[in-house]
Amino acid sequence: MRLILTSIIVLLALHSIKAQDAQKTIDALTSKMNSVNDYSVNVIIKADIPMLKVLPVNATIYFKQKDKFNIVSKGIAIMPKQGFTDITKLLSKKESYTALATGNETIMNSLTEIITILPSGDTSDFILAKLWIDSKENILLKSQITSRTNGTMNIDYAYGAQKKYGLPDKVVFTVDVKKFKIPKGVATDINRTTTVDANKPVSKVGKIYLQFSNYLVNKGLSDNVFRKR
Amino acid sequence: MLLRSVYNEFVKIAAKPRSYLGLGSIIVLVGIILFALKADGLSFISFVTASFEQTLVFEGNILNGNLVAFIILQMLIIHIPLLVALVTGDLVSGEAAMGTIRMLLTKPISRTKLLLSKFIAGGVYTLMITLLLGFMAVVVGKLMFGSGDLIVLNSDGLVILQQDDINWRYAGGFTVAFLALLTVSSISICLSCFTDNSIGPIVATMAIIILFTIIGTLDVKIFDNIRPYLFTTHMASWRSFFEDPLPKDQIVKSVVILLAHNILLVTISIIQFNKKDITS
Repeated sequence: MRLILTSIIVLLALHSIKAQDAQKTIDALTSKMNSVNDYSVNVIIKADIPMLKVLPVNATIYFKQKDKFNIVSKGIAIMPKQGFTDITKLLSKKESYTALATGNETIMNSLTEIITILPSGDTSDFILAKLWIDSKENILLKSQITSRTNGTMNIDYAYGAQKKYGLPDKVVFTVDVKKFKIPKGVATDINRTTTVDANKPVSKVGKIYLQFSNYLVNKGLSDNVFRKR
Repeated sequence: MLLRSVYNEFVKIAAKPRSYLGLGSIIVLVGIILFALKADGLSFISFVTASFEQTLVFEGNILNGNLVAFIILQMLIIHIPLLVALVTGDLVSGEAAMGTIRMLLTKPISRTKLLLSKFIAGGVYTLMITLLLGFMAVVVGKLMFGSGDLIVLNSDGLVILQQDDINWRYAGGFTVAFLALLTVSSISICLSCFTDNSIGPIVATMAIIILFTIIGTLDVKIFDNIRPYLFTTHMASWRSFFEDPLPKDQIVKSVVILLAHNILLVTISIIQFNKKDITS
């Protein structure tokens, strides 16, 4: 009996230590993220999504702390609904989640800590998030967000000149597209003489590539750029 | 002489109140659609994009003039044939019914040339209808909603066309749409040569369009061989201009089939009109 009790106490202590370590890593990451008060950046958005044909689009992204975000593009740009500022928003509310260190993995020659984020309540749309953090540089190299409405989304980050601010040069979103359905009544082309090959395998994931350039960090941004036109 | 006869035929079309019914209908119908889309267009579009918007966000002006013009074309191109047939359906039979055809044929012009002038005048009216539809949909649409990339829903997914790449597609699309409407005009004039009453060819033209459309829509194997040759199958070929990559072969095939229909119908009409008994 004493042995069992001792084991439980040791396990709980270990869990607490792991949680504390994970929170420390996240704190370091958020501190780096918070060093950026605002930024604007040019971006080329390329979408490779089944059932969607779109050419690469040039856009400008504006961000201002805490959660002001806007994309301005001449044409129609496809972006993932979640994932761009959600991690920053989520990590800024410490009371809304529990962080656990769940292992290590090497990504692009960098050793990362895998941290699992669990929501404190059960009412939020977000179910689980996994972050691969390079704790040496305090940057995010990969993340995985699972939500009730959107399924699982993977995000891969690559860094360049703005590594010191934790701002990536390239981001790749991998989205779940199993749910995409074309409304038949609208899409049916009665005059179409060629048919779509129903047996042709359709990929169940789509990718959105973002290539950033010309970062302007902490130069001060007017609130006007966040007004939706 | 042919040109003069074409002019006379066109004056006769212009003098008929029903000719303005078609033009007025287009202005009213497009006006209503533009007003409705201005009032609640985004919810109309969300019906199509809802599935994608669960996971993705479309950044930018989706409800723009290009999309509005596309929606209008899609909605109205089925109804425009009626407006065309209403005028062209009695170009010959109307004259026969009123007895003016006898006087007309006393002029020093051959029956073939007279009939060709009616076909040309009908074609000009059809062109006017198409141009008015294009003006109301594309020009007024862009004035009201601005320009932007075009989202098109095909049966294999969404295609987003960049705004710099759209105007030539509309030009091509309207050309094919005109050719399709010209075929309707030719059918109604052809039927008009076979009868002496005005309503018959108009109703018969619409009945043929409905019948062929149903045959084209029914996914029954027995119709597989005739479906590609029905003119109704190619009436919406204007849509092919909004596919990426452009299905050139499909467009050329549609143009050839529609032209072949026109040539055949004009030939049948000339034969029938030359044999037509105008004395009784």
